[in-house]
Amino acid sequence: MESGQYQRNHDAISQTEQAILAEKRVLVAGCGGLGGYVIENLGRVGVGHLRLVDSDLFEESNLNRQLFSSHMNLGRPKVLAAKQRMQAVNPLVEVEGFQTRITSENALELMQGCDLVVDCLDNIPSRKMLQAACEQAGLPLVHGAVAGWRGQVCVVLPGEKLLDKLYPRQEMDRGEEARQGTLSFTAATIGSIQASLAVNQLLGKMAWGKKVLMIDLLETQFQTIDLD
Amino acid sequence: MIKVNTEDYPWTRPLSVQELLDEKGYIFPHIVVRINGEYIEEDDYPKRLVQDGDDVLVLHLMAGG
Repeated sequence: MESGQYQRNHDAISQTEQAILAEKRVLVAGCGGLGGYVIENLGRVGVGHLRLVDSDLFEESNLNRQLFSSHMNLGRPKVLAAKQRMQAVNPLVEVEGFQTRITSENALELMQGCDLVVDCLDNIPSRKMLQAACEQAGLPLVHGAVAGWRGQVCVVLPGEKLLDKLYPRQEMDRGEEARQGTLSFTAATIGSIQASLAVNQLLGKMAWGKKVLMIDLLETQFQTIDLD
Repeated sequence: MIKVNTEDYPWTRPLSVQELLDEKGYIFPHIVVRINGEYIEEDDYPKRLVQDGDDVLVLHLMAGG
């Protein structure tokens, strides 16, 4: 299994851990701003199986932040671009792409055989649906969200329902990103932390706890807040 | 002294949630406020008072991906 591909992962990730990662399957829900960086990092670090779900095609407004978007692939499916990128970067990774919306009807089926789910979606109801499906499937969920210069990230274990605390209002569909938009470095920062938390979780290296990391890149502030 | 997002903040008088948000510079219109574990409705921000010793959590509501 080992080639030069993972040489510089060691010893931050041991040979044994590398072999464990190669056997893991992660579902990435959403292949846009956050999803692009999550996929890039999970693939490069050596998570063996990535299942990608996104119904969207690339459009011009994605170009400011979505890693796999370019003027060459506008109008093409995001999952296809992500799959091609991974084949070019790390052919050891098996990538399954599903060009569909993840819903309460198909979520459990899409999660089958997965060890962890990463939430890179773009609206509150879908995120809460994903949390409920993870709860039912007994899977950890690595949540990330961004708005302008700010972002948040946390790990939700079955039973914790942390998203209910981050999004207590039932009627809300979107947050501040509707006004602020999303910046490239915010998506890159939060997506990268999501990937590191996913690997951390897959390897059982450190418990996260019931907390959320809030990041403000305008003020360069990082704050961990207890949600218990 | 009160706590705002786990950090100590001086308390000199009872002040409304809205005054606290203004003082701390929370300008996002989509904000979630919790005091001692209780979520505060947006309509109550001007009248709900923050008392000495309160533990205030202020979260910016964001959901972009």
